[in-house]
Amino acid sequence: MPLGDGRLADLVHVGAKRGATYADARAVERENETISVRDGGVEAVTRASDRGIGFRVIHKGAWGFAATDRTGEDAMKALVDEAFRRADAAASTRTKPVTLAPIAPQTGEYRTKLARDPFSVPARERIALLLEADGALNGPNARSRRASVAAYRTRKRLVTSEGTDVSQEIVESGAGVAVTAAKAGAKPAQRYDSRLTRQAGWEFIEELDLVARARRYRDDAEATLDAPLAPERPTTLVFAPEFLALLVHESCGHPTEADRVLEYEVAFAGTTFMWPKDRGTLTYGSPHVSMTADATVPGGMGTFGWDDDGVPAMRTKLVDKGKFVGYLTSRETAAGLGLPVAIGSARAEGWQHFPIVRMVNVSLDPGTQSYAQLLSGVGDGLLLEAPASYSLDDKRQNFHFSTQAARVIRNGQLEGYVRGVAFQSLTPAFWGRCDGVADDWELHGFLSCAKGEPLQLMRVGHGAAHARFRDVPIEVTA
Amino acid sequence: MSIAQRTNVLGREAMLGPLESALRDAKGGEVELWAHRRRSAITRYAKNEVHQNALADETFVQARVVVRNAVGVASANALESGDLRTLIGAARAAAELSVPNADWPGLAAPARNGEPRSFDQRTADVDPAYQVAQIQTIAGLARARGMRTAGTHQVELVEEAVANTNGVAQYAPLTWAYLRALVLTDQGGSGWGEDLASSISAHDPVAIAGRAIEKAARDHDRAQLAPGDYEAVFEELAMAEVLRFMSLTGLTGQTLKDGRSFMAGDAGRPRFGEPVTGPQFSLWEDALDPRTLALPFDPEGTPKRRIGLVEHGVARGVVHDRQSAKWFGTESTGHAADPRRYAPGGHAGNLTMGDGTATREQLIGAVTRGVLITRFHYTNTPDPKRATMTGTTRDGTFLIENGEITRALANVRYRMSALDLFRGLELMGPARLVRDWWSSNGMGSIVCLCPAVKVARATITGSSPI
Repeated sequence: MPLGDGRLADLVHVGAKRGATYADARAVERENETISVRDGGVEAVTRASDRGIGFRVIHKGAWGFAATDRTGEDAMKALVDEAFRRADAAASTRTKPVTLAPIAPQTGEYRTKLARDPFSVPARERIALLLEADGALNGPNARSRRASVAAYRTRKRLVTSEGTDVSQEIVESGAGVAVTAAKAGAKPAQRYDSRLTRQAGWEFIEELDLVARARRYRDDAEATLDAPLAPERPTTLVFAPEFLALLVHESCGHPTEADRVLEYEVAFAGTTFMWPKDRGTLTYGSPHVSMTADATVPGGMGTFGWDDDGVPAMRTKLVDKGKFVGYLTSRETAAGLGLPVAIGSARAEGWQHFPIVRMVNVSLDPGTQSYAQLLSGVGDGLLLEAPASYSLDDKRQNFHFSTQAARVIRNGQLEGYVRGVAFQSLTPAFWGRCDGVADDWELHGFLSCAKGEPLQLMRVGHGAAHARFRDVPIEVTA
Repeated sequence: MSIAQRTNVLGREAMLGPLESALRDAKGGEVELWAHRRRSAITRYAKNEVHQNALADETFVQARVVVRNAVGVASANALESGDLRTLIGAARAAAELSVPNADWPGLAAPARNGEPRSFDQRTADVDPAYQVAQIQTIAGLARARGMRTAGTHQVELVEEAVANTNGVAQYAPLTWAYLRALVLTDQGGSGWGEDLASSISAHDPVAIAGRAIEKAARDHDRAQLAPGDYEAVFEELAMAEVLRFMSLTGLTGQTLKDGRSFMAGDAGRPRFGEPVTGPQFSLWEDALDPRTLALPFDPEGTPKRRIGLVEHGVARGVVHDRQSAKWFGTESTGHAADPRRYAPGGHAGNLTMGDGTATREQLIGAVTRGVLITRFHYTNTPDPKRATMTGTTRDGTFLIENGEITRALANVRYRMSALDLFRGLELMGPARLVRDWWSSNGMGSIVCLCPAVKVARATITGSSPI
C-alpha cells in the first residue's frame, strides 16, 4: 500500500468512530542491500524489503495493537477488530486508564540529507572495495575474514486521531570488517567492528577508509595473539570513543528509559537504579561526566523528524556534570511519571511492533582537552579501543566488559599490546573514576539494540570522545 | 468458511503452493524459496495490569538464486505470485552481480523428514480474552499475598515452507506458548515462574504463580556473598543459559572451522573422541524429540537429524548446514539457521542434556555451603574458546547451608567456563523444556531440555548492590 494512500486516515477514523479515545496508524516500508565478502570470495549479495501497517487504539482505557502485512479491505477490517479485541481484553485488568502527555498535532516531512545514495552505488564498486578490505585483513595467522557494506532505507508515515500526519524517509549506510587470527599454542584473537553505521549516504563509507581500518584490525589481531597477559592490578584506563559508545549505551542509555521505572520491562530487561526521587541528587559519575539524549544530531542513527508517537525530535540532558537529571520518555511514560514531554523516544523497529521507549542518540558530552593532553596524564595505563563481551545486571549497576585489544600507555606514549583484559564494576563507581574527557568527539551508530517482548532491534547513536578513568580494577584471563 | 471452521492457520496449500508455482516459472540456475509466517500474540503485564496487548501477523519470504555458483539472496513479505516472481528476479540480479563461491554446496535434494510434533490447533487459535484470563489468575494470587506481578502470555503460530528447483517441497506448522510471571514485593524481593510448551493446555498459572510467590516471599533481607568458588544448584533456566553459550561458541561447523570452538584443537583439527569436560555431562541436538519445540526441517529443506555433541564428557560432533558440511566433506545435519538471526555455518537450537532423577530438595540437600541460582540476566561470553559465560543472577538467588536455604542473597555475578562447571557435575534432576534469557524474547532461538543440577564449584566474581 502506497504510503500516501488515504487508508491510514480511514483506519484512524474508524477507530475514533468505534469509541477509541486515541488511535494511530503507521505504515512502514523498509529495504536494505548488503554485500559481504568472506575469506576472499563474495559470500552473499542480499536484497531485503518488507512493508506493513501497525494500528493502535486506546479503548476503555487500555492499549490494543494489531499489525499485518496483508492488504485489502478484509485485512484492514480484521486489523481494526483485533486491535479493539486486544484493548477490550486488556481493559478488564486496568485500574487506571492509559493517558498520554499532550503534544500539538504535527504535520510535515523529514528526509535524510545525502551526498550519494548508497543504493545507487554500483555493486561492482562495493565488491571491489570489500575485496580490497578483505585482502588488507589477511595477516599471516588470519583464520577467517569478513567485510560487508549495507544500505538501508525506511519510509514511514504516521497518522493519528489528534491530527498528526507525518512522513519520513531515512537512509543509512553501514560497513563491518572482522578478522579472527589463530595459531597453535595461542588463544584465537578477534578484531571486528559491526557498529560502523551512520544516517548518511555512501559518503560515510568513503570516510571510513575501510582498507586502512582493515589493516589496523589485522595488526591488532596478530599482535594480540603473541601479546603477554596484562598485569592484574588497578589500572588507569583510557577508552576510545568506539568503546565508550557502548559503555554509554549500556550504563546510561538503558537505565534512563522511563518504561523501566514503570516496571513495563521488568520481566525481561529489568528496571533501573535511577529512580524519579533521585533526579537532581543521585551522583552518577564525576563532574567530568555529562550525557545528552538528542534526536536532532546530524547523521545520528537515532535522529528523526518525529518519533512513533508523533513527538518532534528534541534533546534533553540525562546526566549533568555527574548528576542524574533526566529520562528518555514516550508520551505514555512521561504522563505516567508526571513529566512534560522533554524528548520523544517512542520507537518501533518496524510496522509489526508496538512503539516502546528506546534510545535516540545518547552521548557523552565532549571535554576541552585534546586526546594528546589526555594521554600525557597517564604514566602507566592501558588504551582500550574496542569491546568484546558485555554483561550487565537487571538494574544496570553491576557490569562486566572484556576487550578485543589493549595497548600499553607509558608516560603518555602508546607502546605494545597486552591481552586478557576485562573489568567489572558498578556504574556510579566506574563513572566516578572519570577524571578527563577529550574534545575529539565522534559519532557511532548501532543497528541492533535489543529490547522488548517480542524482541525489537533498534538503531541508536552514541557520540563520545576519548576519556580517562583512574585505578579501575581489572581482571586478566589467560 | 463458517465460524466453527475459522482458523488462523494458513495451511500447506496456502504456504507451499505459491512457492512451487513460482519455481515452475523460474528460468535457469538453482532457485530456493523459504517462507516463514509468524502470527505472534503477546499480552504484557506489569503491576498486575496489562500494559501492552499486541498481535502481529507477518510472512517473510526469502529467495536464493544461484547462477554458475554465484549466490544472490532477496527477501520480502508477500506470497502473491507477482511478488514471488519479482523476488526471484531480485535474487537473480543479485547473483549476477556476485562472484562464484568455489565452495558452493548446491541446494538440498528431496528427502523425507519427520512429522511435525510441535503443533496444537487450539493454541493456534487462542483469543485475547483467554490470554488475559491466565494473567488475571496469576495476578490475583500475587495480590492476595500483597505482591505484584509482571510478565507475558505469548503465543506464536509459525508456518514454514521450503521449496527448490531440485524438487524439495516441505511444509510444517508449529505453535508455542509461553506464560511467565515475575512476582515482586515491596521489600525488594522477586521470584520467577514460567511454563513453555507447544500447547496452552500445558500451562498451569496457579503453579507458575506458586513457584514465583514462594521465591519472592523468601527474598528479603538480602546478604552480599563474597567472591569465590561455591557449591551451587543451577535450576533449569540457569542451566539453559550455560548451554546457550556452548551452542553459539562451540557446536557449529563455522566455529569449528574458525578455531574458536572448544571442539577445535590446534591446527584446526577437531577434538572428536577427546575428553573436553567431566564424564557426567552429555549433550545432544535432537529436534525430533517430542518434548521439544521444533520444525522437522531447516530453512534449506534438509531434515533435521539427532546429533551427539558431547557424550560422557567426550567431544563427538558439531552441527552443519550445507555450507559447513561442504567445508568438512560431510553431509548437512539439517541445522541451517534462520539467516536473519545467525551467520551461515550451522546452529544447534534444540539441545538435550543428559539428566537424572534428583528432586529439587535432594539437589539443595546435597549442598554444604553454596548458592541456589534460579536464572541469569544479560549473559555473555568473555572467552568463547572455553565456552565461558558471565552474567548476574536474578529472581531467586539464595544461600544454602547444610542442605537448607538459609537466606536471600543480592544478585551475584558468575563467570566460568562451562567445561570447568561440568567437570563438577554431581547430581541432576529430570529435564524440563526451557529457554535462556536471550532466546526467551527472540534474541536467539535455542530451546533446551535440561535438568536442574548440583555442581561442586561455581565461580562468583562479584555482587550487585543490595
